[in-house]
Amino acid sequence: MSTQRFDGMSGLTRRQLLGGTAAALLSSYTFVNRAAMAGRSPLGRAGQFSTLNATRPEGIDLVLERRPLLVGGKAGSAITLNGSFPGPVIRMTEGQDALIRVHNRMDESTSIHWHGLIVPTDMDGVPGISFKGIAPGETFTYGFRVRQNGTYWYHSHTGLQEQLGHYGQLILEPAEPDPVAYDVEYPIVLSDWMFENPHAALHKLKTIEGYFNFQRPTVANVDEQMEATGDSLGEVLKKRWKWRSMRMDPTDIADITGVIYTYLMNGHAAYENWTAVARPGQKVRLRIANTSTMTYYDFRIPGLPMTVVQADGQNIKPVETDELRIAVAETYDVVVTLPENRAYTLFAETMDRSGYTRGTIAPRAGMSAEVPPPRRRPMLTMKDMGMTPGMKMNGGGKMDDMKAMKHETMPMVSEQAGPLPTSNLPKRIMHGPDHHGPGSIVMTMSAFRRLDEPGLGLGHDGRRVLTYSQLRCLKTPPDRRPPTRQFDLHLTGNMNKFIWGFDGKKFSESDMIRFVYGERLRINMINDTMMAHPIHLHGMLMDLYAGEDYAANPRKHTVNVQPAELLTVDITANAPGKWAFHCHLLFHMEAGMFRTVAVVRSLEGGPIHAAS
Amino acid sequence: MPLRRVIAILSGAMWMMAPGPLFGQEKMAMPNTTTRPIHNESETIAPIATQPVPPPSLPSGLTLEQTLDRAASPPPKDFPPTIRDDKLRAALLVQQLEYGFGQNTDDQVGWRAMGWIGFDYDKLWLRTEGSASVEGPKQGTSETDLLYSRLITPFWYAQAGIQYASDWDSEDYNDRWSGVLAVQGLAPGMFDVETSLYISEDADVTLRFEADFDLRLTQRLVLQPRTEFRFAAQDVPERSLGAGMTNADVELRLRYEIKRDFAPYIGIGYHRLVGETSGLARAAGDDPEELLFFVGVRFAF
Repeated sequence: MSTQRFDGMSGLTRRQLLGGTAAALLSSYTFVNRAAMAGRSPLGRAGQFSTLNATRPEGIDLVLERRPLLVGGKAGSAITLNGSFPGPVIRMTEGQDALIRVHNRMDESTSIHWHGLIVPTDMDGVPGISFKGIAPGETFTYGFRVRQNGTYWYHSHTGLQEQLGHYGQLILEPAEPDPVAYDVEYPIVLSDWMFENPHAALHKLKTIEGYFNFQRPTVANVDEQMEATGDSLGEVLKKRWKWRSMRMDPTDIADITGVIYTYLMNGHAAYENWTAVARPGQKVRLRIANTSTMTYYDFRIPGLPMTVVQADGQNIKPVETDELRIAVAETYDVVVTLPENRAYTLFAETMDRSGYTRGTIAPRAGMSAEVPPPRRRPMLTMKDMGMTPGMKMNGGGKMDDMKAMKHETMPMVSEQAGPLPTSNLPKRIMHGPDHHGPGSIVMTMSAFRRLDEPGLGLGHDGRRVLTYSQLRCLKTPPDRRPPTRQFDLHLTGNMNKFIWGFDGKKFSESDMIRFVYGERLRINMINDTMMAHPIHLHGMLMDLYAGEDYAANPRKHTVNVQPAELLTVDITANAPGKWAFHCHLLFHMEAGMFRTVAVVRSLEGGPIHAAS
Repeated sequence: MPLRRVIAILSGAMWMMAPGPLFGQEKMAMPNTTTRPIHNESETIAPIATQPVPPPSLPSGLTLEQTLDRAASPPPKDFPPTIRDDKLRAALLVQQLEYGFGQNTDDQVGWRAMGWIGFDYDKLWLRTEGSASVEGPKQGTSETDLLYSRLITPFWYAQAGIQYASDWDSEDYNDRWSGVLAVQGLAPGMFDVETSLYISEDADVTLRFEADFDLRLTQRLVLQPRTEFRFAAQDVPERSLGAGMTNADVELRLRYEIKRDFAPYIGIGYHRLVGETSGLARAAGDDPEELLFFVGVRFAF
């Protein structure tokens, strides 16, 4: 992070030059100087974070304060960790004990959750589930044994605090030699920032559908759609009517967009050009964490292939790719090597194409490369509703479709006995007549496997894009028993009213989901909505069913479930206690897409209501 | 849950009984969400393996048994709520606040607004509309509904409550209370629809149907056609209404969304009294037709 001071200076210079004259330059210089001498600290900037080692014997201190900061050159009120945001990169060493004292100097309660870390239930940092939270003025001490290695992150689990900068990266050094070879490493903390009060933004989402979407279908962009899709005017109008008749907007891809978001890389806006310095030939490990509240990023380095070596902190068999979609809360580690003595752009474009952030990887600070033009925003298709070509709305499919799908069929659950299969799982599940009540708009006819699909708007331009089916774990984790129990979990929402939940129920209406201690459990997630949701389980990792070779399937702390996707995870329920399980889109979570998971002795006894 | 089971069995039976190619054998074999368990229904289908799992991470000072006991209990009383998804919220949308003028009508101020306070599914709903002259003889009307509103399907509210309505001129002020039953929501095609049935204190029954929709010309420029039809179930002489359709209004507004919740607009409206009601107006020397131009603003909190 040697470039940060430099960036600060260049920002200052730019503003001064806007002033126009040498006199203005001189006077503003004296003003800044005088302010500093008078003891008034000039406004700090986002993106000035240090690195701390939490497994050193004396531990570390994190001081949380609310203070004004320059974000992308503009003053905003942020939650700062040790003076800025993102918070410090916290390093820990596997096998050692971490000690972190969190001092809350804000006038509201707070918390820190260690995302993806296997810790005791009382150290997980979720107010209402693992502890009371950290009251204003209080210090809370986190202490736990580090049982993993890899790239993770941490963030507030209180209200909408994460939107205000309350997050940072975690790097867990392996106890054994690292299988990933690299010469230098850099954090790439991707995030989204709004100057507006996040609660005001939530109110807007709750009261006016599509408030922040300024990429809707309009009369003025009919020709653009014709050009992009090759459809005739009649076809475009017919498609649009079809969407309108379903009361859906095919451009509803991100709830909050570049209209109010400033997109950040390591706390720096695109124009501030955060720079990673590396010599040609050096192996550079980029630890990419998407700490956004609502933004999926598509990350690429034009002209430079990336070798993905880790996903969600778990080492995978290296895969070379040109681009990867990083869902909210996921992490990916990639290794890149500069082939020549020039700069390359680290380009992170939002999934809805309403904005981007960028940095540079270059042999020297101060260099930059071309920033690619934004791509056209994608639109949802009938496929995202689980429809296959020829399938008819209202009234089931035609005979031909059913025949065509015959090869995908599987015996029904009730016919099985003994452990569940670990290969050849159902490829498609039709959605039954139960539509989960008014909190859920079920748009999907069926849910199906989308593991090979890079996601909306990707994979059509010749670039290699990482998919979940390419994630193969480097070393099989200890427990790969076949599961003995399974249930379906519907991801549901009413986008018109901004109500989100599971099985049509919000958190406040729900019972805890009980896991039996020691069991191996299968959850089939069925996304009934037309949005992608990053689903995160605390306390235990999820073995993602990503292919037929069960032993090589990856472990994840957050799984992205695409629209109409059927996605299966198997979980070893070895973490006694209560855990959060939720959509990691912060505003979906706050609107109810959240459950408490209780890992209990048995399923005897009645359900436990989740809200106290 | 027995109800779910019954539904599952019934729908399974329906698949089998239904004749024709739509529900053939192929469909039977396709897994369907109806027959699959959700979390509180699933049963262990094989014994839990006794093979030791990786050792658990326990809170300091607690045994495994104590931790499992705590997991099976509700959250302690001193824990705060984890998320607040059932917050009391309030909103106000002023759809129309406008100055209206026409060739053979007096200039007037018109308004139409709705506001609510409540939760996701249950709300106390207020809607008000009316107009008042700003030149010529004093004259105006207003209707204000206060409704309990329940989200019964994803797009539709069922509403019930009371209305206070009044009309006045320089000599007279008339008002009445009515009971209201209404359905309000978004119809296929993205039409905002309100249908309201009124039963006045004199037991007169009237019905109001309103629909509008947004045609987005650009990301911020929106053309909104709107219609309103009113019906009376009987003659209501004191309100100059004849049985049957009484009013038909068509309006068109063009707004520019400076923000989604602040949009100035211009508009045009054709209001017409219909049927017997139109005859009553003519007999009283009034014009049953009215063509108005509007300048106004739409805003929300």
